[in-house]
Amino acid sequence: MNHKDRFYATINHQVVDRPASWLGLPVPSAEPALLKHFGVNSIENLKLAIDDDIHPIEVPYNFPPSNHIACAFNFAKQTHLDTPDERTLTAPGFFEDYNEVTDIDKFDWPDPTKHLDREESNRRAKATSKNHIRMGIMWSAHFQDACAAFGMEHALMVMLTNPDMFQVVIDRITNFYLKANEIFYESTKGQLDAVLIGNDFGSQTGLMVDPDMIRTMVFPGTKKLIDQAKSYGLSVMHHSCGSIFPIINDLHEIGADIIHPIQALADEMDAPNLKKNFANKIAFCGGVDAQYLLVNGKPNQIINKVHELKELFPTGLIISPSHEAILPDIAPANIEALFKAIKD
Amino acid sequence: MEDILVKLGYCVEFGKVDKNAPYPPDMKGQDGADELTKQAIEQGISAAVILEDALVAAMNRVGQKFTEKKIFIPQMLMSAKAMNAAVAHLKPFFNSGEITRKGKFIIATVKGDLHDIGKNLVKMAIEGAGWEVIDLGVDVPTEKVLETIQANPDAKIGLSALLTTTMGNMQVTVESIKSKYPSNAIIIGGAPVNEEFKTKIGADFYAPDPQSAVSYLNR
Ligand code: B12
Repeated sequence: MNHKDRFYATINHQVVDRPASWLGLPVPSAEPALLKHFGVNSIENLKLAIDDDIHPIEVPYNFPPSNHIACAFNFAKQTHLDTPDERTLTAPGFFEDYNEVTDIDKFDWPDPTKHLDREESNRRAKATSKNHIRMGIMWSAHFQDACAAFGMEHALMVMLTNPDMFQVVIDRITNFYLKANEIFYESTKGQLDAVLIGNDFGSQTGLMVDPDMIRTMVFPGTKKLIDQAKSYGLSVMHHSCGSIFPIINDLHEIGADIIHPIQALADEMDAPNLKKNFANKIAFCGGVDAQYLLVNGKPNQIINKVHELKELFPTGLIISPSHEAILPDIAPANIEALFKAIKD
Repeated sequence: MEDILVKLGYCVEFGKVDKNAPYPPDMKGQDGADELTKQAIEQGISAAVILEDALVAAMNRVGQKFTEKKIFIPQMLMSAKAMNAAVAHLKPFFNSGEITRKGKFIIATVKGDLHDIGKNLVKMAIEGAGWEVIDLGVDVPTEKVLETIQANPDAKIGLSALLTTTMGNMQVTVESIKSKYPSNAIIIGGAPVNEEFKTKIGADFYAPDPQSAVSYLNR
């Protein structure tokens, strides 16, 4: 099977030669050890060495200092470095001081047409291997941004005390992403196969917010983002860390093709439980625990885990670490073992 | 008298801050924790009774419901807000010594770690249980924790780590505290932390949720 056939067969629960797989997105501090271990000079070449199926394309967004679309909004009142790693969500945000839906325009909303680089989008897509699944890393985390807009704790209370206010803010953020994504999808037309979008809804033990509030205030925007991607013929991978069992069905119903990253140690997120409840209905990506196993385990334990996952999910699961951000505490030998075991 | 304490406890449990507060919708226009505490004091109910029988008891129920996943972070935050509105009226009684805190609790997210949602909830729950909490924030170096213990020698300590990459920093902080202040109890928590890790690094208690920390402190 080629990479694309394998990916589509995996997410459509069809027979595969081996399950599709994805390395994820190693953080910069993890890269040197990985490159050294595999004897390669780039993550691109590392991916060819492990032979995974998905190649990510980051959205080029010119907005210093981070130049990252996940930091497109300057909501935080206190100054911080403003890279995805430094975003705190809980820092007091601009809308903390506003209560009226008409205040929505007081914020200096960014215009994606000014920052999202069309030519660079096209160049990046062209430079990405056609043989692999080319996945746009959109994030479009409208819920997390809405949290940052007020400061997360304040935002979660506004969801209860002034839902209309929360709604106008999250809707405006959703509209920003719809516009940004349209630019990206148009600029890469015919050169993109899938997208990654998502928000973190889960802690280790359960949802951070009641499922009904997520359903009424957050998922309408998620659905728009999914519908838009699908109108371009793209497969949608939806990301949420943590224990999100009660909303997996909802994500499926609003059109997500794949649920990522299956944080194996979070409550109810273990592979047997997902198999029991969603086998042959919903596709997943992730599942190889990055909170204990990949950090503390030995290669043979990783291999056993991957074999176990393949037995539970001969198809329907894109095998990948349970967090896309591979941290420097994961031994490169364990990454090697993970991808070798997929091919056994 | 009992009626007003029951009502006050209800306001804290369900996050009714004051009369003007729009939440919860089914209590619109009714007195909230703010007004009821004032009234209770005016009726001559002792501050200690208000604190323990109404407020702390209510926060205990809130913590329990959170552990049981019957409520989530937003509801817990609203309860903490109602609690704060009530406690504001008890300030003079704390100042006069008529009522006292159960003790001091220093809380911090360890060096290198920026996750603070969980730490903040723990802070609210422990304050709600009647303790004075000193919050050192996130990305806190060991030295800062040690200095704070030096200034508050009887304090108990809570540390949070959400990343496998910062569990090592948690270990360093715990070992440093234990070598200088062996009798100050340390509670640890956070997504990757567990009982086994607690034992390994020599902390005193692992709390998977705020309520179990409260129970441990109240022992
Ligand atoms: C929200 C979140 C973020 C937010 C944090 C916002 C903030 N201000 O806190 C943001 C987006 C900023 C973030 C960033 C990152 N994150 Co993060 N994040 C999460 C997430 C989804 C939820 C954490 C949370 O807030 N839960 C809600 C609270 C209420 O729960 P809690 O923190 O667990 O706390 C409860 C208990 O644990 C306990 N508790 C906690 N601390 C303490 C302390 C004491 C004393 C006591 C008694 C109890 C206690 O009580 C709390 C209430 O019940 C977790 C997923 C997860 N499984 O936890 C990932 C997670 C922790 N993040 C992860 C990662 C990798 C990162 C990043 C490295 C990603 C990146 N490259 O950007 C950065 C690191 C930034 C840094 N230097 O810290 C990984 C860690 C994996 C690992 N190997 O350890 C996780 C587990 C996700 C995953 N899929 O694996 N993250």
